[in-house]
Amino acid sequence: MLWTEKYRPKKLDDIVNQREVIERVKQFVKTKNIPHMLFAGPPGTGKTTTALALAYELYGSNWRQNVLELNASDERGIQTVRERVKDYARTLPMGDVPYKIIILDEADNMTADAQQALRRTMELYTRTCRFILIANYSSKIIEPIQSRCAIFRFQPLSEDDIANRIKLIAEMESVELREDGLKAILYVAEGDLRRAINTLQAAAALGVVDEKAVYRVVGKASPVEIREMMELALSGNFMKSREKLRELMITYGLSGVDIIRQMHREVFALKIPEEAKVKLADKIGEINFRMIEGADEEIQLSALLAFFALFGQQLREAPLHSK
Amino acid sequence: MSSMGLLWVNKYKPRKFSEIIGNRESITTFRSWLEKRLKGESVEKAALLWGPPGVGKTLTVEVAALEYNLELIQMNASDVRTGEHIKRILGMASQYASLFGTRGKIILVDEVDGISKAEDRGGLSAIISLIDVARFPVVLTANDPWDPAFRPLRDKCKMIRYNRIRLPTLVAFLKKICLMEGIKAEDSALRFIAKRVEGDVRSAINDLQAAAQGRRTLTLADVQWLAMRDRQFGVFDVLKGIFAAKTCRGAKAAFAQSLVDYEMLIQWIHENLPLQYTSPEELASAYDALSRADIFLGRAKRTQAWTLLSYTIDLMTAGVSMVKKDRYHFVKYQFPQKLKILSQSKEVRAVRNTICRRIAEKCHVSRSMASSEYLPYLKFIFENNVEMAAGIARWLNLDEFMIAFLAGSFEKAKEITSRL
Repeated sequence: MLWTEKYRPKKLDDIVNQREVIERVKQFVKTKNIPHMLFAGPPGTGKTTTALALAYELYGSNWRQNVLELNASDERGIQTVRERVKDYARTLPMGDVPYKIIILDEADNMTADAQQALRRTMELYTRTCRFILIANYSSKIIEPIQSRCAIFRFQPLSEDDIANRIKLIAEMESVELREDGLKAILYVAEGDLRRAINTLQAAAALGVVDEKAVYRVVGKASPVEIREMMELALSGNFMKSREKLRELMITYGLSGVDIIRQMHREVFALKIPEEAKVKLADKIGEINFRMIEGADEEIQLSALLAFFALFGQQLREAPLHSK
Repeated sequence: MSSMGLLWVNKYKPRKFSEIIGNRESITTFRSWLEKRLKGESVEKAALLWGPPGVGKTLTVEVAALEYNLELIQMNASDVRTGEHIKRILGMASQYASLFGTRGKIILVDEVDGISKAEDRGGLSAIISLIDVARFPVVLTANDPWDPAFRPLRDKCKMIRYNRIRLPTLVAFLKKICLMEGIKAEDSALRFIAKRVEGDVRSAINDLQAAAQGRRTLTLADVQWLAMRDRQFGVFDVLKGIFAAKTCRGAKAAFAQSLVDYEMLIQWIHENLPLQYTSPEELASAYDALSRADIFLGRAKRTQAWTLLSYTIDLMTAGVSMVKKDRYHFVKYQFPQKLKILSQSKEVRAVRNTICRRIAEKCHVSRSMASSEYLPYLKFIFENNVEMAAGIARWLNLDEFMIAFLAGSFEKAKEITSRL
């Protein structure tokens, strides 16, 4: 099974850091009376885990019957959310807690209109249901909802927090975790414990977890091939670069927008004159705009690569001033 | 012997009645008619085998010639078939003994329903009179002989109906060919081929060869592009017409006079641009035109203002053609990867989505989160650690396709599945 799930804390006390949040949540649990809540914070800091642990402590082993998990990104429109909430709220909770819990993850992905509708739904079922909204940014949640919720801000995890957890898991799984491997995990995780654990497990698939193993994993997860694709085009090898493009789209399942964003990031790392980088960035922006408008991603990106190929040739023939 | 270049329809053509698949009853009826006819018993002088294409009508006659040692005299609709012509060729054969001895003969006229009254003046009456005078058995084939004009012909013939080959029979036959070609084929792939051809064995074998020749394994994804292929006919000429045009009008006409779908043609042009244009200037200009064509197409779709489509057409034909600096040179055009990949990846996408849904449920994340934060790691694990992969596969309840998607190959998937 996946270690992110295997080692997801079941109890509030086991959650990594977030002490202030946990203390307050525990008070609510003690009185068995919880308000609507909004958990806000960066990914992989324990928001969903806290919500699930809270439910577990509140309802005990039959917590599943009393919790509805919804994900705003997956539900098609507010209509579906409303329907599911309505169906769910119809039946009474099991056990001695007089309400059920609805966890709505990625709530900040809802439009303002959908959130207005959600607010009404929340009011309608307040007697029988409590909502826990989860979001990366509380600012993306409309004011009227914020004012009805107790807001909990999850802090980014420190490197020490993550390191301790990773070392613990490695020990439980009898994985040989080298010092440089741990360092690399911390570097790529950027404070996201979920990503750290996933990286650890994938690297452990190779055996010993050292720096090399970690970067092999990351190479897969965040394609450095984007730059290679651009360099191929600039050097005049259009066919190869188009092949690379297709590989990225098919094999890695990257969308055209994913690719163009990464191209934009990588263009400034290319070994070409500074002035040329700006010209390419301009063109990339144009293509990005076209794709947002709904143009065919592969054709637009191919056109961009053809432009790169021509640009590369012009650079070789009449070099710009290198600044 | 190398099988390169040999059509499998010929390579695996039955040489005995027992090898023909399907239509047992029709063949038995035909044989008993033929035997009586050869012995001179009083039966219809001709037989008309009718039914959908590719189910073995002509084949029955060819095999009969072999098994009864008869000389086969054959004509089909593609021959010029005026009454004069038929009389000359068939009349001669039916009247006189063969030059090579006294072997019996069997006369086959294929696709008689292809005879049109206007073009083949007297064609029908010539066949009827041929049947009347022939000393040898005459066999006709047709897809649909029920036009009233064929009534006099039908009256003279033993009518024998051929049916579509049933799916399981066809799949079993394809499997046999794969076995002999040393190809490991998924059942789903063979079923996909068999289903599409609607009981037409000939098409099925052709499709199988197109998809499988030179491979060791055949998966569903390998055959799905076939569905696209049917609609590609004529597109090579259109491409050549566009690229070779000297004027805008000429380039536009090359498309306008064809029946090719413009969205599909865009993919063909996209695929072949770098083959046609090797200089960076031409290629960049041509891609610029094509990408602008694509923009107009998007605008037309979005606004439903289909008059905008004419600008799409301008740019994708004249636009990509007028950038050339030298004379047109011929290149061998390629089938668009995108169409191939698209039909493959439709299936792949479905598999991928299912995996993401399973992860989303188990790991309390959205499907897009599952795709970005879990899938890459899973792939890495499945490619590198069979043991760990098996554990995760069990936990997520993945089937063989999903495992293969993550592991990147069916071989690896087998290894993983064996540890479940």
